[in-house]
Amino acid sequence: MISFHEAGVSVPDPAGTGADAVLLEPATLELAEQRIAVIGANGSGKSTLLRLVNGLARPTSGRVTVDGRDTVREVAAVRRRVGFLFSDPLSQLVMPLVREDVELSLKATIRNKARRREAALRHLGTLGLAHLAERSVHDLSGGERQLVALASVLATGQGILVADEPTTLLDLRNNVLLQDTLYGLGQQVVYATHDLDFAARADRALVVDAGRIVHDGDPHEAVDRYRRLALDPQRGRR
Amino acid sequence: MRGHALLIGLRIPGRSPVHRAPLWLKYLVLVACGAALVLWRSPGTTAVLLSLGLVLFALAGRRVLTAWAAPLRFLWWILLLLGVYQWWMNGPWAAFMVVGGMLAAVQLARLLLLTTEQTDLVDALGRVSAPLRVIGVNPEVVALAVGLMLRSIPAMLGCIADVADAARARDLARNPVVLAGPVVVSAVAFAQQTGDALAARGILDHGPGDGVPDDDT
Repeated sequence: MISFHEAGVSVPDPAGTGADAVLLEPATLELAEQRIAVIGANGSGKSTLLRLVNGLARPTSGRVTVDGRDTVREVAAVRRRVGFLFSDPLSQLVMPLVREDVELSLKATIRNKARRREAALRHLGTLGLAHLAERSVHDLSGGERQLVALASVLATGQGILVADEPTTLLDLRNNVLLQDTLYGLGQQVVYATHDLDFAARADRALVVDAGRIVHDGDPHEAVDRYRRLALDPQRGRR
Repeated sequence: MRGHALLIGLRIPGRSPVHRAPLWLKYLVLVACGAALVLWRSPGTTAVLLSLGLVLFALAGRRVLTAWAAPLRFLWWILLLLGVYQWWMNGPWAAFMVVGGMLAAVQLARLLLLTTEQTDLVDALGRVSAPLRVIGVNPEVVALAVGLMLRSIPAMLGCIADVADAARARDLARNPVVLAGPVVVSAVAFAQQTGDALAARGILDHGPGDGVPDDDT
């Protein structure tokens, strides 16, 4: 269970006014549903919200817990529970070969090289990627890369997956493939997206606007709310 | 960011005797050849080591042998300058020894990279760095840092190429100062993304191999 307890993030205003710029206003949430979508405009605070869950961002007020573990004080324990998928898989894939990258994820838990290799191949096989094992991560298509990045994240066995716009760089076919893969997982998945059809598939959706969660509930209503916000001509003139 | 293809050029998969040779043997040959170049400086030593390099490349398979000439595309002008200078100062044999010796050393080091998985290189480095643990340094993190450095070189080359293209598109290509700022910003962004990715996978929290007994064989 992911819990936000009045958790917010602000940073010193880059304009140098001395005031704080609010990236995410304090929010209290319990995220228990299996599939949770986060939608909002660029710079609205979606990524900040997601990064709080894995401890990549620290709340400047309140706190965030995952299964009761504080994401600041117990960050290592939190990251054993929460995997994170970035929009650009190339920034996430560290080793040259697909198998080697999955092996890197397993290094903390399986020290024996042969067993680690077996486990890596097994994980790749689970996502139907075994045939890519010996390929360079740079030779893959965008969709394959994102699936490999997903395999590397899932190899560590976390129960929660956070995905920050995982389909942004993908074409339609790979977009659908990744969506279906994410929806086929047993893990809880919390994802940010600009794809409103993808968001509408969720069990619950949050709309973030200018650092504030303005809607929390039914995904279809969330999509409508976001559409109204995004296309409001009055807001465009501000 | 471009340039990633250079990274994959580091290793050419294969099942040749060179690929299957134990890593310690590859390192031993590399160190022995390097020592021979320094200790027995003669045209004969240089010729033998250049030939040995070629034989080992051939033994590693056709694809590896084809890659033998690749660095000459980038290094030829350095080798040429060195060769001309040495010939002028010390004569033709000295030029052969310096240029040939440098080429032999580079090629033998490349052969190690071309025929060894990065995981194995990183693992070996971790084992060699194990004594550093007594002064509080995590050898696994040292090894990972070196692996990341290897990964970063082609990424940075790609970044420079991207920035140069962007500058050229705006007719700023002749001013290298224009390139410096964006390249530094891209390098920092790349480092930040890599750090985030490692942190998100929990690798920096405990080191890549901490907390489990070492039973590698």
